[in-house]
Amino acid sequence: MRDVVVIGVGMTRFGKFLERDLQDLGAEAVWKAIEDANVSLSDIGVAYVANAVGPQLSELKGTIGQHVLTAAGLFKIPVINVENACSGGSTAFRGACMEVASGNCDVALALGVEKLYCGDTAKSAEAMASGTPYAKFGFMFVGLYAMNLRRWMKERNAKKEHFAKVVAKNTYNGSLNPYAQFRKPMTVEEVLNSRVVAEPLHLYMCSTMGDGAACAIVCAVEVAKRFTTKPLIFVAACELVSGSYHIPGEPHVPITRRAAFTAYEKAGIGPEDVDVAEVHDAMAPAELLLYEELGFCPEGDALRMIEEGKTALSGELPVNPSGGLAARGHPISATGLAQIAEIVWQLRGEAGERQVRNNPRVGLTENAGGWVMDDNGACAITILKR
Amino acid sequence: MDSLKTKEERAGGKEIILGEGLFHMPSSPDERPYLKGSKCLSCGLVFFPKLKICPKCLRRGTIEEATLTGKGVIDTFAVVNSALPGFKSPSVQAYINLLEGPRVWGLITGCEPDELEIGMEVELAIGEVKRDGEGNVFISYQFRPIGRSLK
Repeated sequence: MRDVVVIGVGMTRFGKFLERDLQDLGAEAVWKAIEDANVSLSDIGVAYVANAVGPQLSELKGTIGQHVLTAAGLFKIPVINVENACSGGSTAFRGACMEVASGNCDVALALGVEKLYCGDTAKSAEAMASGTPYAKFGFMFVGLYAMNLRRWMKERNAKKEHFAKVVAKNTYNGSLNPYAQFRKPMTVEEVLNSRVVAEPLHLYMCSTMGDGAACAIVCAVEVAKRFTTKPLIFVAACELVSGSYHIPGEPHVPITRRAAFTAYEKAGIGPEDVDVAEVHDAMAPAELLLYEELGFCPEGDALRMIEEGKTALSGELPVNPSGGLAARGHPISATGLAQIAEIVWQLRGEAGERQVRNNPRVGLTENAGGWVMDDNGACAITILKR
Repeated sequence: MDSLKTKEERAGGKEIILGEGLFHMPSSPDERPYLKGSKCLSCGLVFFPKLKICPKCLRRGTIEEATLTGKGVIDTFAVVNSALPGFKSPSVQAYINLLEGPRVWGLITGCEPDELEIGMEVELAIGEVKRDGEGNVFISYQFRPIGRSLK
């Protein structure tokens, strides 16, 4: 297998763009990544395109990747359409990396593009719940997060203030991010004064609907210098796992932990080597659980991480410098690639006002999605190194 | 006006079963509802909804159909102050550890949200979970704290 590097990333701002379609959003992200990588359209050998709810909410019912890429001027090459719920973006990235690693092509593109806003909120809400067949019985992801957090709070003696602190941190980061959907920093008090969506979750702790696209271009390390003079960002691991069945009485390793430790092994590093991370906090307090599952702190220390500011922009392990899902926004399939774009910018030192202060060399993204039986449908961990 | 309209719609609506094959709906008052799951004859694990391959034994031919009482305890729950279109709001959702072993997701009915606790005993309650704009009523499985009447 060949070493793979990211040479270009690009994304649209995330937000509500009723007047823009998937093609328009996708083409913007593709061209920003192409310009960042300094490649030409004809250099791209294969493309993976992730989208989840296009068939339900847009006029495009299939081959969405081809519809979007032809709008960007990309014809003829193989296009692989990817649907993997919220982890679709990272799944597409993995496909692009494998094409290059295997020697099948030198340059590959991964795009995640999504539109949640369609002018009919009820229709959008149903589409968002469609990551699981249980939606027809009334299952809601916000309820699932609330259930897990309720148990976790009881076990750890956590307070809602801890959750609000995560939101205060992430909305501050988001306020510095020109790509973020929400750019208003929130105080702990403002978060706790917002209405209760599902105890213990308040409105400002939750991600909401969003439109947007994000793109990455990867290539074989031996050809990278042909295109770019920017620091090369190595893909040290991009591991994808699916959920397991929780057998009563047997220890259950959380899917994120299973994915993360597979990725650490592949990259030849440990969690202590990670300098910056973007994690899948569809409800911001879930970030605390992820600190432990990703091995960023020993089990039981998550509250201390947020209390001591260790994961702030100025901390020793900044988490969600982009603002995370609740502040940057969460257009399902675009999220994984937005996380990768953010880590690339952070590792290159190009993140502007939200640049982390610890001169990062290793970054991680965690991108989980869907709900199958009793576990996430999928979880992808990507480790990038400068 | 709204209530009148609802009444007319109700008269025109149909009763639709959501999740046919997941539960037995009593046809008379003295019959009890139950859940339709499956069981692995090799290791004894019970599943709801039905599985065709046991995730522990991982081979074909070990599974047979099984009925579950629908009794269990609340493992964790959430009160969502909104709901998907047509569902009751607030929507009370829970994970239940069923007596026979499986941990299952379900809606909770028949009690005030602030009465709920982790560890509370629940039983199966078949009833209306959703109503659409045409007045169709959707019937499915849910759970209620034991000893409460169905609201």
